[in-house]
Amino acid sequence: MSATHTHSTPPEDDDFVAAEYVLGVLSLAEKHNIERRIEQDVSFARLVARWQQQFDGMNAEFEPSIPPSDMKAHIDRRLFGTINPQPAPFFSNLVFWRTFAFASLILAAIGFGRDFLTNPSVSDKQLVASMESDGSIYQTLAVYNKASNQLKVSFVAGELPAEHSLELWLIAGKDAPASLGLIKSAQVTEFSVDSALAEKLKDGATLAISIEPVGGSPSKAPTGAVVAAGTVREI
Amino acid sequence: MTPEGISQLISRVALRDRNAFDALYSSTSAKLFGVCLRILNNRTEAEDALQDIYVKIWNKADRFAVADTSPISWLVAIARNHCIDVLRARKPASTDIDQASEIAEPSANPEQSAIATGESRRIYDCLGQLDQARASAVRGAYLNGDSYEELAARHSVPLNTMRTWLRRSLLKLKECLEA
Repeated sequence: MSATHTHSTPPEDDDFVAAEYVLGVLSLAEKHNIERRIEQDVSFARLVARWQQQFDGMNAEFEPSIPPSDMKAHIDRRLFGTINPQPAPFFSNLVFWRTFAFASLILAAIGFGRDFLTNPSVSDKQLVASMESDGSIYQTLAVYNKASNQLKVSFVAGELPAEHSLELWLIAGKDAPASLGLIKSAQVTEFSVDSALAEKLKDGATLAISIEPVGGSPSKAPTGAVVAAGTVREI
Repeated sequence: MTPEGISQLISRVALRDRNAFDALYSSTSAKLFGVCLRILNNRTEAEDALQDIYVKIWNKADRFAVADTSPISWLVAIARNHCIDVLRARKPASTDIDQASEIAEPSANPEQSAIATGESRRIYDCLGQLDQARASAVRGAYLNGDSYEELAARHSVPLNTMRTWLRRSLLKLKECLEA
């Protein structure tokens, strides 16, 4: 990332536009143009972040006010309301198909594939999770074979950092994240899942990877940035 | 809740930890609802906006790690940004001038609000060096979501004049903030 950093002074106009954006005086169309630019132009995004920091001091003037008590329930319903994903939207979802195609490729590559590819209805169910994250260099795929209790995580994009460890977490329902261990290889890492966690590793659970100090999180919880996460699906 | 505590909650929310999301909501929703009420100046809209904002926070929590900012500033920025979108979508620039002038002018003497401490004092010290009307335009934009049109109407100056005003004010502010 530091490679893209330049020391040249950006044009003053850009700085002014960044300040206008942070102040919020622009029209909707202008604002959305700027937002696209922030996504694409790192040095411009830095100007915006700088102005945001300068103006943060005024945030103290927003007087806290308790929202209505049923608000959180509305939010939860919007986010988690559908307990069982409806098959139609799920299967027509582009991300699903991308994951599926991608899963097939990886399954073949890491040797789980044949039965699954030729006969998806075998009783030996497999679980997969495509783990990625906006703005992250990491794209990984986890495949769990219930029968052998073997979880394999393979990298599609990204490398192991030299000065940190990558730790794999399972988040089941409202449970706190539970560590499954450290990623040891930028190709495929195998995890043996203990029986208590194996129970929870099922459709709808989340797998995620965080950056931790070398050797893993010093506590029982993740401490660093999450670089990839995805929902476990039974296929 | 300490900033470190909130940062940790956001990181756990990125891991899809719903308990952390509950805790994050409990400790930050009053502040963010305050942002919505101030900018939208309409309770129903503020309630809808707050829902949208927490849905965004749940979905964007993984981006917090790459943002070099305090957690509460990050959350307030998401809330402000969303409310400004709602405000701009609700009020086409040509029809909102009457309404805008009904919103209270930000207090002329922000330092009396006695809430600015430490680092955040700096912005008020620098605003204090601007002409009062110009400082008030900057604060009106940031705190009330005033657009250029609204600011121009409130200060009874043509739009281009307001642009020039604001630009000069921002240049002065920048010099002062970076001094």
